[in-house]
Amino acid sequence: MQIDVKAIFESFVSGLTYLPKTLILILVPLSIGLVVGTSIALVRIYKVPVLSQFFAVFIPVYQGVPIVVALMVYNLIYLMKTNDVLKFFGSSKTIADIDSIYVGLFALSLMMICSISEVMRGALLSINKGQYEASYSVGMTKPQTLRKIILPQVISIAIPALINTTVGLIKSTSIVYAIGIAEILSGALVPSSRKYTFFEGYLAAAIIYWILTILIELLYSYLEKRTSIFKTGKTENKKLWSLKCWRSNTSEKALAEMKS
Amino acid sequence: MLEIKHIRKSFGRNEVLKDVSLNVKKGEVVVILGPSGSGKTTLLRCLNFLEKADSGEITIGNKNVVIQNAGRKDILDLRRKTGFVFQNYNLFANKTALENIMEGLVTARKVPKKDARNIAEETLKWVGLHDKADYYPSQLSGGQQQRVGIARAVALNPEVILFDEPTSALDPELVGEILELIKKVATKGITMIVVTHEMTFAQDVADKVIFMDGGVVVEEGAPKEIFYRPKEERTKQFLAKFIIPDNMYYI
Ligand SMILES: Nc1ncnc2c1ncn2[C@@H]1O[C@H](COP(=O)(O)OP(=O)(O)O)[C@@H](O)[C@H]1O
Ligand SMILES: [Mg+2]
Repeated sequence: MQIDVKAIFESFVSGLTYLPKTLILILVPLSIGLVVGTSIALVRIYKVPVLSQFFAVFIPVYQGVPIVVALMVYNLIYLMKTNDVLKFFGSSKTIADIDSIYVGLFALSLMMICSISEVMRGALLSINKGQYEASYSVGMTKPQTLRKIILPQVISIAIPALINTTVGLIKSTSIVYAIGIAEILSGALVPSSRKYTFFEGYLAAAIIYWILTILIELLYSYLEKRTSIFKTGKTENKKLWSLKCWRSNTSEKALAEMKS
Repeated sequence: MLEIKHIRKSFGRNEVLKDVSLNVKKGEVVVILGPSGSGKTTLLRCLNFLEKADSGEITIGNKNVVIQNAGRKDILDLRRKTGFVFQNYNLFANKTALENIMEGLVTARKVPKKDARNIAEETLKWVGLHDKADYYPSQLSGGQQQRVGIARAVALNPEVILFDEPTSALDPELVGEILELIKKVATKGITMIVVTHEMTFAQDVADKVIFMDGGVVVEEGAPKEIFYRPKEERTKQFLAKFIIPDNMYYI
């Protein structure tokens, strides 16, 4: 099989033109997931009556549904019911005026809410209760304790798992292609369908997703360094340490090369 | 100054505090002794509502709280009159030594940041750790962490500081210096309630010793009375375990 490098490039560029759409599909569910997911985690940790029981059932059940299935169900509901709902509210608009990206945003947000709430709950559970007690003992209120003591620690503990969740989200944005939302994948395939260079199209899409993933991981590892100083010591020490590792690695490599 | 009346507390069917009453005068150092599981920690924790007692009455300074009617505001008021030094330090893991001391001042007491910093620096110097201001708890030894823990309580200038076995988690060679520091707190004239198993320390600093067992105050009095002329059989039995090593010098 011949790989058409020019076609990869074309698909890459075409895919990139849809980057804003994909970024919306990442950033909106991520933000909603962080805010609502963390709130749900707190509701469950503080055992708020009714709500905590509800989420204890809803979240595992919902997480058992594959995202494609959920997306298709929402899309069917959207296709069948949007006009009725609009009419019910006396709107003169029709389904043609409602962008189906909202269906994708809804499905992805719900997915993120569930997974982030689990991540945050795990991180919250890992905080020693002495941290709360020390905070109360110096006269801080519950909200102050959460804001100043608990959440900063929780976030830094949760970052590795949040990276996973976000990388999962980036990949999941491509499935909204299935309900006809134009994003990176469908963009990359536009030149392909003209010239039958589908392999190159998917390859280009893969490269874009890969770059996005790397960027997100870099961003998080920056945040992780910023927030987790207290676990490992000062940033300077950490930098020195990694520099040392790097040096010893490279010198070892150099030695090995000299020997061979 | 500090008065607790008829405190009761059960965990499920386990009655841990059975009608405990206690009176502490201003500037007094009260040491609580007693076997493990006798309710000492629970008593201290009930005093600042880390544990909510089932019934009773607590007065600290001019603040009187009947447990059953205690609202959020009452609890906060009581907590702001007390400091607590924990057995396992419980420093804020995400704050430096200095920030650990500042946090309560700034967030809870609304002391301006600049003043809080000054107070924190001064207190840190006072506990001998001025060079560790920017260290995180994970970078400090147990002894250093407990110094910060004590500084955090002292800096708030509370009406009473509660110490729950402040040296129990320390390496033996570090116990002495922390006890010295607690003595130094005592000489500042701060009212203190100290739960400890350090008998020599208790004899040295206590104005009053309380012996608890099975959720009741068995006996209380001046250190001389409790250590040399205990009246209750349970007190004698408990002290015997500690006093024998001392007598060994005379054998
Ligand atoms: N949070 C809790 N839940 C259930 N039981 C507890 C709890 N805290 C303490 N207890 C019980 O209360 C009793 C007294 O404990 P504690 O006050 O810690 O004693 P001490 O400090 O004198 O060793 C023990 O029997 C202990 O098991
Ligand atoms: Mg105890």
